[in-house]
Amino acid sequence: MSEATANFGLVDALEARGISRRSFLKFCGSLAVAAGLSATAAPRVAMALETELENAKGGLFPVLWIEGASCTGCTESFAQIETPDVGKVVLELIALNYSDVLCAGAGHSLEAAKEETIQNGNYVVVYEGGITQGFGSNTLRVAMETGEEILVHAAENAAAVIALGSCAVNGGWMAAYPNPAEATGVSGILKKHSIATPVVNIPGCPANPEWLMSVLVQVLMMGGAEGLLAGDVPAVVKTLGLNDEGKPQGIFGETIHDNCERRGHFENGEFVYEFGSKEEELGYCLYPLGCKGPQTKANCGVTMWNNRRSWCIQAGSPCLGCCEANPNDPGDNWVEVNTPFYKRDRDLHIGDWFFRPTVVAAGLTGIVGAAILIHRFGMKKAGRMDGGADFEPIRAWDAKNPDRSIGQYEYSVMGDPVKMKAAQEEIAKQYEVAEEAAAEDEGR
Amino acid sequence: MAHLAHYKEAHPLPFVITHWINLVAMAILIISGLLIHFPVPISMGIARGLHIFAGIVLVINCLVRVIMAFFVRSAPTAGTRETVKDYKTWLPQKDNRHQGGAWVKYYLFMKKDHPLGAKLGVPQKISYLLIPILIILMGISGLCLWAPTAPSGFCQFFLNLVGGAMSMRIIHYFGMYVFIIFLFIHVHLATAEGNEPVKLMFLRKEHGGLVYDPDKHVIVGEDKMEHLEH
Ligand code: HEM
Ligand code: HEM
Ligand code: SF4
Ligand code: SF4
Repeated sequence: MSEATANFGLVDALEARGISRRSFLKFCGSLAVAAGLSATAAPRVAMALETELENAKGGLFPVLWIEGASCTGCTESFAQIETPDVGKVVLELIALNYSDVLCAGAGHSLEAAKEETIQNGNYVVVYEGGITQGFGSNTLRVAMETGEEILVHAAENAAAVIALGSCAVNGGWMAAYPNPAEATGVSGILKKHSIATPVVNIPGCPANPEWLMSVLVQVLMMGGAEGLLAGDVPAVVKTLGLNDEGKPQGIFGETIHDNCERRGHFENGEFVYEFGSKEEELGYCLYPLGCKGPQTKANCGVTMWNNRRSWCIQAGSPCLGCCEANPNDPGDNWVEVNTPFYKRDRDLHIGDWFFRPTVVAAGLTGIVGAAILIHRFGMKKAGRMDGGADFEPIRAWDAKNPDRSIGQYEYSVMGDPVKMKAAQEEIAKQYEVAEEAAAEDEGR
Repeated sequence: MAHLAHYKEAHPLPFVITHWINLVAMAILIISGLLIHFPVPISMGIARGLHIFAGIVLVINCLVRVIMAFFVRSAPTAGTRETVKDYKTWLPQKDNRHQGGAWVKYYLFMKKDHPLGAKLGVPQKISYLLIPILIILMGISGLCLWAPTAPSGFCQFFLNLVGGAMSMRIIHYFGMYVFIIFLFIHVHLATAEGNEPVKLMFLRKEHGGLVYDPDKHVIVGEDKMEHLEH
């Protein structure tokens, strides 16, 4: 290898693969956007990428891409980007040392390379898929190890683990009720084994490849790496702007609804009530069709998909809320909380008892309403509507417990017409006295 | 002529005002809430704006009402102009003691004559005690759904407690029906024995009736208020 090719610049490397500087800059622009910056930050990102790559000379963090219990959809989404695939090339340059799906190698040699990377330390794990703890963790085995063992082993020595996709964040759809495989996410497993390696959560089903690229670029090149090397977790958290759930706040800080292009229609009450209708053709808001945009936090409307070509809502689908994933609560997974996808309602459950809120609540309201109606008829029939029934002369309890009586019945006038008459006259007289006094006041 | 006299002292002006605010805010909240849940082709912007406004008014009004209970005096029972600090009428009162069963029996037509009691019958008292709690819960769940307040640590705590914004949304929605059920029962009990209590509550219109002595806990006379008729 000659000096010239060994010290190649990033742009040369990309050009060798048919990627122009222009598309590289465009790529940097989308990374900037995905990271919550403005697209005008593209040259800054480009420069950082170039200088870091040149300075590093192979000293960059290797990346291990490990499959958990996954459909490999996140890998597919990443790999399916149309050519020229800038992101993939950049990732190749970074050092993707291991990927079940993308690597050409397989078997013992690949596993050995992975083990070597782990032993050398200072690498980043991208973990895709959930971890199934049920059935002795035996629902996933690779090279004789269970998914849980693989994650624990790889995470212990890693500088950081990127939990890619909702399954890796909290088990995803696998964790939906009744969760027989006891699926959970990376954070849950690391906590269980008291491993302190920082976790970056990137939910989505699949996760948007640009989110991953943006995080990788920040971790590996834009200052995050120094923090990681120094074991300075707060610095990494700050570089990536991670929130309480370990998600980059720039990407997952606002709701879909906040950045939705149909939002104006929402505010104006212009809704699609049925697929295939005129309103759908007009591009109205998909809220009545169960859009989960108002409750789902992700910047899909900004980053978009497939090289910023389109995204769910632009394509006419209500947001299914695939980014809903609370790393601390596998039950708060997007499938469980957001189904049925095309309805405004969802099922609630208390333990094993499932119910539709509207059916139960409206039913209860109806029953109470009917009971009240019947009661009203009863009150009317009993002649109580006009002032109520006559008062009891004595409280039932007082009658039974005269020694501890609440009422002092010797003063009561109930049931004693003579006392009652006297009391009535006494009160009427007080009014007369008061009126006379008032009249005198006026006369003066 | 069986009911107790309806005097203004039962509902001092500040409470009449808070009650009016309750009523108007609730009406706005239920109507706009239904429009948020079952969207129709009219302005969602207005429905949401009104909803959050009325929601905040309702919560503040509730806090004001509860705090005022410690300063404003009101009559401990109907049929008297004597007053005590209002909060005392929310707590169990001597007049109510041992009367819970009697009230239930009365409402189930298993007891013919009207139980002696305090300002509020036992069932009403319990439902009024639940209402501030319910309003606060609706306020918390509402704030958890409101974009400006949802990211706060306070709201995040409750969101994590119930399993996310989607679950909170449904709980809040469910809460609306609890309110509607309360309203049904409340309006029914308030009007079941004639319209005089409503006229007093909303219009401060007094009405003659039996006079009750809150210290002796018995009926001691009748105020016919005939002077008002001429
Ligand atoms: C008893 C009073 C209330 C009733 C009956 C009520 C009812 C409702 C209903 C039915 C919804 C629609 C839920 C859905 O399907 O998404 C809703 C949403 C909401 N409520 Fe309430 N609510 C009440 C009080 C409050 C309060 C006190 C607040 C705030 C302080 C509040 C704030 C909200 C917010 C922010 C939403 C979400 C609106 C949106 O998605 O834009 N609500 N409410
Ligand atoms: C959702 C709206 C309502 C709420 C939250 C509410 C709440 C309350 C509360 C807490 C009280 C206790 C007294 C006080 O605060 O001073 C009360 C009393 C009363 N309310 Fe309401 N109310 C509502 C609507 C209504 C309506 C629609 C009516 C009549 C049709 C009504 C009639 C009355 C009457 C007559 C009283 C006095 C009861 C008595 O002293 O025996 N209220 N209400
Ligand atoms: S389509 Fe969904 S996210 Fe977009 S405005 Fe309507 S409800 Fe909000
Ligand atoms: S718009 Fe909604 S369903 Fe589509 S990717 Fe984003 S979070 Fe997932």
